[in-house]
Amino acid sequence: MRLELRDVRYVYAPGTPFEVEALRGVSLVVEPGEVLGIVGGTGSGKSTLVQHMNLLLTPTGGEVLVDGVDATTLKKSELRRRVGLVFQFPESALFAPTVEEDVAFAPRQLGLDEEEVQERVLESLRALEAGELAARSPFALSGGEKRRAAIAGVLAMKPEVLVLDEPTAGLDPATREDLLALILGLRNAGISVVLVSHDLDEVAEVADRVCALQEGRVRAIGTPAEVFYREPAQAPATVRVASLLRESKPEIGAPVRFAETLDALRALQGA
Amino acid sequence: MTSRSLGQFYPVASPVHDLDPRAKILATAVFVVGLFLIDSTVGLLFVAAALVALVTMSRIPAGTFLLLLRPVLFIVALTVLFQVLFSREGVTLAEWGFFEIRSGGLSLGFFLALRILLLVSSAGLLTATTAPVALADGIEDLLSPLKRVRFPAHEVAMMMTIALRFIPTLGKEAEKIKGAQAARGADFSEGGPLRRARSLVPLLVPLTVGAFRRADELAEAMESRGYRGGEGRTRYRELRFRKRDALALAVTALVLLVGILL
Amino acid sequence: MEHPGEGTRNGGSFVVSCESVSFSYPGSGRPALSDVSFELRPGEYVGVVGPNGGGKSTLVRLLNGLLKPDSGRVLVSGRDPATEPFEVRKHLGILFQDPENGLVAPFVEDDVAFGLENLGVPRKEMRDRVAGAIRAVGLEGFERREPDTLSGGEKQRVALAGLLAVEPDILVLDEPTSMLDAAGRREVLAYLETLRAEKTVLHVTHHLEELVRSDRILVLNGGELVADKTPERFFSDADLLRENRLVLPVVQRLALEIGLPPARLRTPEMLAEAILAKTESGTRAG
Repeated sequence: MRLELRDVRYVYAPGTPFEVEALRGVSLVVEPGEVLGIVGGTGSGKSTLVQHMNLLLTPTGGEVLVDGVDATTLKKSELRRRVGLVFQFPESALFAPTVEEDVAFAPRQLGLDEEEVQERVLESLRALEAGELAARSPFALSGGEKRRAAIAGVLAMKPEVLVLDEPTAGLDPATREDLLALILGLRNAGISVVLVSHDLDEVAEVADRVCALQEGRVRAIGTPAEVFYREPAQAPATVRVASLLRESKPEIGAPVRFAETLDALRALQGA
Repeated sequence: MTSRSLGQFYPVASPVHDLDPRAKILATAVFVVGLFLIDSTVGLLFVAAALVALVTMSRIPAGTFLLLLRPVLFIVALTVLFQVLFSREGVTLAEWGFFEIRSGGLSLGFFLALRILLLVSSAGLLTATTAPVALADGIEDLLSPLKRVRFPAHEVAMMMTIALRFIPTLGKEAEKIKGAQAARGADFSEGGPLRRARSLVPLLVPLTVGAFRRADELAEAMESRGYRGGEGRTRYRELRFRKRDALALAVTALVLLVGILL
Repeated sequence: MEHPGEGTRNGGSFVVSCESVSFSYPGSGRPALSDVSFELRPGEYVGVVGPNGGGKSTLVRLLNGLLKPDSGRVLVSGRDPATEPFEVRKHLGILFQDPENGLVAPFVEDDVAFGLENLGVPRKEMRDRVAGAIRAVGLEGFERREPDTLSGGEKQRVALAGLLAVEPDILVLDEPTSMLDAAGRREVLAYLETLRAEKTVLHVTHHLEELVRSDRILVLNGGELVADKTPERFFSDADLLRENRLVLPVVQRLALEIGLPPARLRTPEMLAEAILAKTESGTRAG
């Protein structure tokens, strides 16, 4: 599915003294089968933007298009099935007595028959490597386990686009790496992933394209190299190192991921 | 949503807002007791006039203040209706089948209605002119003599301030959980009362569990900062009882006295 | 197990010591901490790292008496937190991970005063100390703000101010930046840096770059203290890092892979400089 936001504006609390323009004309496209990274500081509008993707918020101006069709004309439940949104710290919404019950919530809300529901529960848990957690209480799990159970709960809807708001927030680095690998696995299985993150190094490793937001507007959008090398001061560590070396050693090129940066640096030293 | 905007507190500068919360709480208590001691409509009207003057002094817009009375309008209407239809006092003014409308019913209905409105208005004026934190401090101070009879005045006050501190936080958390469950297809507005009650489970369970976890962490943080109950504790916030507060209290008592005598 | 106390020695008087401390949570099969011994000397900045569930949070709570050891002994400035928690807490403050759940009062300045209220400090003195603490964390003007209007970084700074107001000698930081975004982390770390000179600090973290200038780094895994090393040794020990599921930040990892010393190269700028220097000398020599 091709999810497009066209000149989307959003104003919080219009007409009151608390009025805030969170989005000032954001246009971007989520292409099928890609990982789109969305970066930006606090106040850039990341979380507001993300809630427009499944119309939890409706734009004050502009449109949200699903395969060219205005999303507001679609049934909300249908849209939310196709665009799965996982909030930051999603484990705070776990509620059922067992993980499998919790993951079954969304498919049951869709009205699927019990057999299909069970199948989806198993599939989603397996995709997040959380199969052995099925019969456990969500409240007795570790942080990383809870996180995976919560994501499985949204995955069980079989969305075409999975939007993850800071999925690795609060996790230790090793668990974070494991989760990112699982997310790449989802992309490889054909799901488009929108990854909102304040961690540029993380985005550098997994994103196919990057959208940088600033104060409610798109500052830059394109390949990671295009976006990050434009503003090297606000870039992942790899890009910062490479761009500093570029002046005297232009042969270093424009590496973004760790592995390619390492290769470029080694080549530099070998020369 | 801040704790200042909670309930009916209307933040504006006025002499009434500036009064010590203890004076206001006591004055409201005197007012309420006094109201029940007044047995004439004239007395009530006098007190009502004084209250109107007070509301004007508090710089709270009339419209906003009247909104406070909205919840009780139904009860007031019911009371008046009951008295009007069933009272057998006084002169008959009109008849309609079994029902007789008598002057006694009208006047008693009016009296009772006025009393209810005055009760609610006095409480409303208290909460509208006193910030929740100030109220909590005032209550703690007034209850502290009870510490001698083992009443946990400090603990009650601490509970109130912590609750005030966390209400906006829990509110935001509830919004977030609602959003997360809606993203999974939950619908909180569909179906009859039983269905709706059940649909609240995915909201209430995580909210409650989260609240308990917060309470645990908060308790650890408080203990780590040396908290061990009210013993030996000083207080950063200050309440100063001044002459004007004593005056306000005296005037309130006087007004009620006049009302009783009338 | 490495030789304990490879780090700097200054004086030999201990401010915090753990002697063979063990602790198990009730109902749990495994001990959370097993025979852990170490010392902190005055003014040291010591890091604590290790996988989740390895005992770091348990250790923190044993240091101020929130938990009592099953065996062994903890001493803080000569006192046992298990028997004299109130005294210990005057000298040892903990900055917890979740900025939200450490703030107890409806306003910033009231929260900063909370610790002083507990100590029975007279009001006039409280006002001065609260103002000082608020200044020390750069939050002048925030006195009457309500906690839920603050950013994560600001909340942690309020919590830090609350600790500083009590003037403890020892600060224990329990993953203080894990729940913050990049900007919040920078903010909080900047203020923590300023405390380095005056206080003894125990800093539990997953972000290894925060410990590059520490005096020593302790590694806790499975409840055991498996290493106590200087940053130089720690960052270059690939086996140690791997065995304990410790992930070096990008800059350090790059440095390690291309043969440059990871502990001395904190930022991308420093790494770039070092690379240029190395290639210069390489071309000159070759």
